[in-house]
Amino acid sequence: MGKNKLTLITIGFASCLGLFSLGLRAAEVNLSFDHFYDHAEMTRALQALEKAYPGLAKVESIGKSFQGRDLWAIIITNPKTGPADRKPGYYIDGNIHGNEIQGGEVALYAAWYLLKNYGKTQLATRLLDEHVFYIIPTMNPDSRDYYIHKPADPNSPRSGLVPYDNDRDGTADEDGPEDLDGDGSITQMRKKDPNGMFKAHPKDPRVMVRVSPGEKGEYTLLGDEGIDNDGDGMINEDPPGGYDMNRNFGYNWQPNYVQAGAGDYPFCWPETKAVRDFFMAHPNIAGAQTFHNYGGMILSGPGAVNMGQFPAGDKQVYEYVAKRGEKILPGYKYTIIYKDMYTVYGGSLDFFYAALGAFTFSNELDVDPSGPPLPYMEERPSGREVQDETYRELAAEARMLNEMFYHDNVLMGEQYSDWKPYKHPLYGDVEIGGAKKFSRRVPPSFRLAETCHRNAAFVLYHADQLSRVEFDQIKVTKLNGGLCQVDVTLANSRVSPTITSMALQKQLHRVDRIQVKGPGAKILAAGYLMDRFRNLTRKIKTQDDFIWLDNGVPGYGKLEVRLIVKGEGKINLVFDSLKGGYKVKLVSLE
Amino acid sequence: MNRRNLMVLPLFAFFSLLFLVAQTAKPTFNQYHKPDEIAGLLQSYTARFPQLAKILSLGKSYGKADIPMIRIAGQPKGSVDPDARPAVFVSANAEGLHHIGTEAALMLADKLLTKYGQDKAVTSFLDTRTVFVAPLLNPDAARAYFAPVKSERSANSRPVDNDNDGKADEDGPDDLNKDGVITQMRVKDPEGRWIPDSKEPRLMRLADPKKGEKGIYKVYTEGLDNDGDGEYNEDGEGGVDINRNFPHDFEYGVKSAGLYPVSESETEAVVKFLVSHPSVALILNFSTENTILNMQQTGQAKPGGDKIKVPAYIAPQLGLDPNTEYTPKEIADLLKGSPMVGGMDITEEMVLQFFGGGPAMALDQNDMPIFEAVQKDYKDALKAAKLENLEKKAKSVGKGSFVAYGYYQYGVPVFSVNLWAVPEPKAEEKKPGEEPLSADKLKSMTSDQFLALGEDKINSFLKEMGAPANFNASMLMGMVKSGQLTPAKMAEMMAQMPKKPGGEGEEHPDTYLIKYSDTALKGKGFVNWTPFKHPTLGDVEIGGFVPYLKVTPPPEDIEKAISFHTDFYIKLMGKMADLAIPQAKVKSLGEDLYQITVYFSNQGWLPTSTGQGRRAMTAWPIRVKLSLSPEQTLFSGRPVENISFLAGSGDTKTLEWTIRGKKGSKLTVKAWAPKLGALEKTVVLE
Repeated sequence: MGKNKLTLITIGFASCLGLFSLGLRAAEVNLSFDHFYDHAEMTRALQALEKAYPGLAKVESIGKSFQGRDLWAIIITNPKTGPADRKPGYYIDGNIHGNEIQGGEVALYAAWYLLKNYGKTQLATRLLDEHVFYIIPTMNPDSRDYYIHKPADPNSPRSGLVPYDNDRDGTADEDGPEDLDGDGSITQMRKKDPNGMFKAHPKDPRVMVRVSPGEKGEYTLLGDEGIDNDGDGMINEDPPGGYDMNRNFGYNWQPNYVQAGAGDYPFCWPETKAVRDFFMAHPNIAGAQTFHNYGGMILSGPGAVNMGQFPAGDKQVYEYVAKRGEKILPGYKYTIIYKDMYTVYGGSLDFFYAALGAFTFSNELDVDPSGPPLPYMEERPSGREVQDETYRELAAEARMLNEMFYHDNVLMGEQYSDWKPYKHPLYGDVEIGGAKKFSRRVPPSFRLAETCHRNAAFVLYHADQLSRVEFDQIKVTKLNGGLCQVDVTLANSRVSPTITSMALQKQLHRVDRIQVKGPGAKILAAGYLMDRFRNLTRKIKTQDDFIWLDNGVPGYGKLEVRLIVKGEGKINLVFDSLKGGYKVKLVSLE
Repeated sequence: MNRRNLMVLPLFAFFSLLFLVAQTAKPTFNQYHKPDEIAGLLQSYTARFPQLAKILSLGKSYGKADIPMIRIAGQPKGSVDPDARPAVFVSANAEGLHHIGTEAALMLADKLLTKYGQDKAVTSFLDTRTVFVAPLLNPDAARAYFAPVKSERSANSRPVDNDNDGKADEDGPDDLNKDGVITQMRVKDPEGRWIPDSKEPRLMRLADPKKGEKGIYKVYTEGLDNDGDGEYNEDGEGGVDINRNFPHDFEYGVKSAGLYPVSESETEAVVKFLVSHPSVALILNFSTENTILNMQQTGQAKPGGDKIKVPAYIAPQLGLDPNTEYTPKEIADLLKGSPMVGGMDITEEMVLQFFGGGPAMALDQNDMPIFEAVQKDYKDALKAAKLENLEKKAKSVGKGSFVAYGYYQYGVPVFSVNLWAVPEPKAEEKKPGEEPLSADKLKSMTSDQFLALGEDKINSFLKEMGAPANFNASMLMGMVKSGQLTPAKMAEMMAQMPKKPGGEGEEHPDTYLIKYSDTALKGKGFVNWTPFKHPTLGDVEIGGFVPYLKVTPPPEDIEKAISFHTDFYIKLMGKMADLAIPQAKVKSLGEDLYQITVYFSNQGWLPTSTGQGRRAMTAWPIRVKLSLSPEQTLFSGRPVENISFLAGSGDTKTLEWTIRGKKGSKLTVKAWAPKLGALEKTVVLE
C-alpha cells in the first residue's frame, strides 16, 4: 500500500466523516429570532425545517395569496405513533393583519422549537407523538412583504392587497400615501400655522400636543405623508387594499356598514378562503391560536354581545388555560373581546370555536415596546381619575415623552425621523417626520426572541391541555349465554373535554364513540355506570357494534360505561373521537 | 354508403333543421322546463335575437350544474356598452321548488326579446338599459321535481350530516308504495299524538288533551330507517337551501341554511356577479316570498338593540354618561360640534357602526314611500286581473333570503312575487266597519300601529288565538313599547305555535287544499291512506298531500299566472332612475371670473339610491368631476363633488363653482355613478 493510497483512504474517511457531521448539522436548523423574516426567507426557513426533519415535518402550500405568494402550512407530528388525522390537532396562524408581522416569527419559532426538541424534552416528544400541529406562520404574505420592504407606517397595511375602491370613484388604490422624504417609512406631515391646534411640547419640541383653550397654536397636523394622486382634492384617501381579513370569517359575520372591513361576504378573499378550507379539511383540530399585535392580551371570544355567553363548561376551560397563560406571559391579560375590548363581528377565533368546535385564543403580542405599561394603560379606565381630563392628557404626554426617550436612548435614533422641511405640491412648506414603521407595534429586535419563546410556551401549554383520553380500567365479567359484561373507564387527564360544550349545544360535529372490533363482536346493551356498587346504569342506545357517547369525555374527568358484549376470544375496544384522539385496547373475553 | 343514402342525407339535414327551427321558434309556457332544457332554450334566443341576447353563466352549483343567465340589451349604433349601462337583475327559483318562478323569468326574457322593435317603450328601454335574467338559481334542488320519485326539495347537492353521526345523506325518504311521490306514513302507536280530523278524516291533526282527545297515530315521512339508528328519514340527500344561505339575517346553527353565509357556490355566484356589476340598480325576483304585498322583514331583534350604552372607557371623553341608554340619534346630536370628533359630521349610521349597533332589520323610512306606492299599483292591478287570491298567502322575506340580501346589503330596490297560490274558497263576509286582527295583519304592522289597537282588541285576539292566560294585552304592549318585541316577531312566534286544533265546528287549516285537490286536480293532489307492511314499523298507512302541491300550479294555469306578473315587472323596469343635466347657467362676475351653476335631475320615478343602500354604504353618490382647460383656474368649489342622491320624479340639485378663465373658453362637467351611467356637459364661459 503506497503512501498515496493511504492518503486517499484518509481523505475518503475524513470526507465520510465530514458528510456524516454535515448530515448531523443539517438536522440542526439554526434559526435566529433577532430580525423579521420576509416571505422569501420564511419560505427558506420552513423548507429547511422540512428537510432537516423529514420524519416529522411536512410543508404544504394551502393556496396562493392575491399576488401569488404561497400560503405555507407546516404540519408537524410523529407519524409513527398513528395517522395525523386521528390525533387531536392544534392550529396556529399569524400575521392575518399585514402590519402585525411578529406573529409570523412566533409561529415559526413554535414549529422550530417542537422539532429541535423532539426526543429531547418530554413535552415536545409527547406533543408530537400524541398531537399534530398545523402552523401557518403568515396568512397575509403580500402585506407582510409590503410592510417589510416598502414604505409603510406602524398601522398599515393591515389589509390584504386586493385592490379596493375606498373612495368609490370607480378606481381602486389610486391615492395612497407616499414616502416623500425617502426614509423608508410613511411618517407624518405638519405645517407651521399660527391658527393651528397643536404646539411643540416645551420639554421636547418633536412632540406635538394639543393647545389649551385660549392658547395660541403653532402647527396644523396634516396626517400621513402623501399627495393628492388623483386630483380629487383629497389626500391618501384610497391606499392599497382597505379591508380587514379578520372580519371576514363566517361566524356572526356582518356587512361593511355594521363591521368595517368585513368584505362583500364571508371568505371572499383568497387568503381567508384558503385558511377556511385548510382548517375544515382537518376536523381533528381541537385547539387553535392566532397572533396579532399589540397590547399584551390573551383574547377569547365572544367577539360581539349578540353571540350570547359561551357555555359555562367551555368558559372554565378558557379561563383555566388563560390564567396560566398570564403567568407564562408577564404583562399579558386575559381579555374577552366584546366585553373588555371592542366589538368584532366575523373574527377568525369565533369561527374556529363557534362553528368548528376548537378552543381558540388570539394573542395581542407585545406590550408597549417603549417601556413598562403606564398606570393608565394597565386597567381599562373606569375610575374617577381617568375621567379627569387633565390626568388623561398628562398621561398621554408622558407617554409621548417616554417614547421619545426610548427612541433616543434605547433605539438610538434608528426608528425616528426628525422633522425636516419639505415642499409639498398642495400645502407648500411643510415638515415631515415622526416614528418609523418598526417603532411601535412590533418588538425591537432585541426583544423579539422573548416574545417568540414565551408565546410559543403558552401555545404548547394550551396544546398540552387538549383532551388526553386513555382507557383507564377494563373489567370483563363472563355472563351466561356467551355474553360478557365489559366495564370500561375512560379517563381524561387534561382540562379540555373531548368536545366543546358549544359543539354539543349546536351539534357542530359527531360525538365520540366506543366500538368493539372482532369477529362477530356486537354490543347488545350499554349504559353509563352511575353507581358501580348498586349496579345503576343509564341506558345508551346501541348500534350493532358501537355506541355514541353523547357528551364526550369531560375535562379532568372519567367516564364509566358498561357494555354487554357478544363475541369471543380477543376483541379490540376502540375509543374514536373526532377531536379527542383514537385509542385501541385489546381485551380478552375469555 | 351508396348513392341513395347520400341523397337522403341532405334531406335528413333539412328536416332536422326544420325541426330545430320549429323547436326554437317559440317557447310555450304550458309546461315546466327541466333544468337541462333551459340552456338550450336560452341558446335558441341567442340564435333568434343575436343582436339582443347573449348567454352568460353565473357559475356552477355544488352538483356541477350550470346556473344559466342571459343578458338582454339593444345595441343600436353609438349606444353604450351593455355592461356599463344601468341594469336590472331578474332572478328566480333560489328555493329550487318554485318552478313557476323559472317559467316567469323565461317568459319575461321572451317578452323583452319579442317586444324589442315592436313596442316603443321596451325598445327605448333596452337601448339604454341592460337586463340580466337568471331563471334558475338552484339547479340541484330543481332536479328533484323531474325525478322519477318526487320529493319536495330546496337543498342543493352538498352532502350534509344532518343527524351528526359522521355520515352524510344516508337516511332519506323512500317511495315504499312505488307511486312516484314521497308522502307520509301514519302508524298506530300508544305514544301517538295525531288523530284524523273529525270533519275531514283524510287530514291528520294534533289531538287536543284539553278536549279529552287522545292521540292515535305517529306520523312520519314515507321511508325506511336506512341507517338503522331508530330514526326515519332524518338525513336525506343534500344540502343547503340557497335561499337561506344569503348573508342578511342569516341563521347560524341551522344545517339547511349552511354553516355560514354564502357557503354555497350558487350563493357565491350570485353575490359575486352583483358585486362585480355595480351597474345593477334594480332586482326583480320570483320566489315563494311576495315582498310587494308583505314588506316586513323577518323581525329578528337587532343584535345590538335600538338603544346604546356608551362604554365607560370612551364615554367621558365624549362627554356622555356611561350609565345612560341613548338612541343613535341622541348620540349623533350630542356629538355635533364636539371637538372630540374633529369637526366631522356624525351621522346615526356612524354611531350605530362605532358602537356595534347591528344591521338594519326594517325597511328604511326613506324607502317606504316607494314600496308603498308599488304595493298600491300592484294591488290595483291584481284586482283588475281578478288575482286578489294571492294576497291571502303572501309570505314575507325569509331568513338568509336572496331578496333580503339584495335590499339590506346590496342596497337596491328589490321586489319579489310568488306568482301563484292555491285558490281558496271565498271567506265569510266580514262585519262591516272594522276588520278583526289576524296573525297575517300583525306581520306587517309597525309597533305604533300595534299599540294603537288598544288593550281590548288585543285581548280578544289573544283569546281567539288560544294564547295562555298569562299572555295579556298590557304585558305584550309593555314589551312592544320597550322594544323587546315587535309585531312581526309576535306573528312569527304565533306561526310556530302548534296549529290550534280544529275542534267541533272548526275547519282544519288544510281543508282548502284537499278541496282544491278533489275538485281542480280531480284528486291528484292527495294520496289516500292505504295500508303497507313496513319492515320495522309494521302495519302502516301511506298517504297525504303530494309534494309541490302548494307552489306548482297545473301546467295549464302557468301562462295566466306568469303573464300578469311579467307585464307588471316590465312596467316596473321603466321606472328606474334616469340622470340628466338639464341646464348649466353661467354668470359673469367680471374680470374673467365666472359663476357656474349646474343642474342635475332625476327624470325617472325611482330614486338614484335607496336609503338602505346609503346606510349600507353600497349606494354610490353621483360623482361630478370638473375638467378645466389649461388656462382656467378653480376659484371656489372642489374639482370633484358628490351628490348624495336624487329622489324620483324630477328631483333636482345644483352645484356651483367660480372659475377664472378667458371668455369663450370651455370646460366640461362629468357626472357618473355606476347605477346611472355617465353624462357629460360642456359649458362655455360667456
